[in-house]
Amino acid sequence: MATPTYDLLESVTLATAASSVTFSSIDQSYGDLILVAEGELNPSANADFGLIFNSSTSGYSMVDMMGNGSATESQSEGNTYADCGTYLYANTGARQIVTVNIMDYAATDKHKSFLARNSSSGTSGRVWAVAGRWANTAAITTVKVEPSSGSLANGMTFNLYGVAK
Amino acid sequence: MTLIETVTVGSGGASSIEFTGIAGDATDLVLSLSLRNSVDSPSATLAFNTGGSYTRKRLLGNGSTASSDSATVDLQSNTSVSTASTFSNSSVYVSNYASAVAKSYSVDSVNENNATLANQAIIAGSWTGTAAITSLELTPTSGNFVEDSTASLYSIS
Repeated sequence: MATPTYDLLESVTLATAASSVTFSSIDQSYGDLILVAEGELNPSANADFGLIFNSSTSGYSMVDMMGNGSATESQSEGNTYADCGTYLYANTGARQIVTVNIMDYAATDKHKSFLARNSSSGTSGRVWAVAGRWANTAAITTVKVEPSSGSLANGMTFNLYGVAK
Repeated sequence: MTLIETVTVGSGGASSIEFTGIAGDATDLVLSLSLRNSVDSPSATLAFNTGGSYTRKRLLGNGSTASSDSATVDLQSNTSVSTASTFSNSSVYVSNYASAVAKSYSVDSVNENNATLANQAIIAGSWTGTAAITSLELTPTSGNFVEDSTASLYSIS
């Protein structure tokens, strides 16, 4: 099997905390998108690690499962953003990695599916797997990363890759 | 995504699989694994460089129940009692591996034995080491990795 080709489309490293990060005018020539976010948690309050496609705040549905080292949880939800698991919980010094695969993002004849993995260990760490759908047939041209409350921490990195068809 | 190296365990097995001399010229690392253990021990651990400590949160499903713990292992492995010729599958993603801060990693891992035993685990892991990752070692909890176990290390720039 040929090795998948990942092309880095854009990389953002936050020099200061920010309310959101937006990737716009996304190249439409790839098959899938992969977003990788990594950084230190900002221990202010619980929030969701949210993605918003094309500035649309409707049509997101998710099924997820979570483990926190003792308890497990699984739920389905509809929301105004793609909920990719928890961000910003009280876990001082801990780091988090979130990967989101967005399949066939440039298609104009299908709803968009995404798979997210959200990992943070440490005292209050959690591990999430999320399967989601954005009920919209538009090609995804912008991806906005925005926690449901609070801000994205200083030093966080966000890399958006295109996976060649 | 660039293949750095593939290790295939040879005849006689191996007590560990190691990648060394990992260059710091990429952003992330991906490890793709096909493992089987020589004894009835279904797990393996991952170690970066030397020193530091590891913390993990694991969500585990076995076909009937789900559980979560602060695991001391990173990977599922097929074992000596698994159906012949079957191997576990795992993927490890390490972000910002060359950074000067603690490292986060994410694991997806599954072992299976002809539908009588199956475990799927997702793990959030972190390593306190602040040096760039230049080596990586996989070690079974006990026993050896058997012949034809494979590990492929990729970089993403």
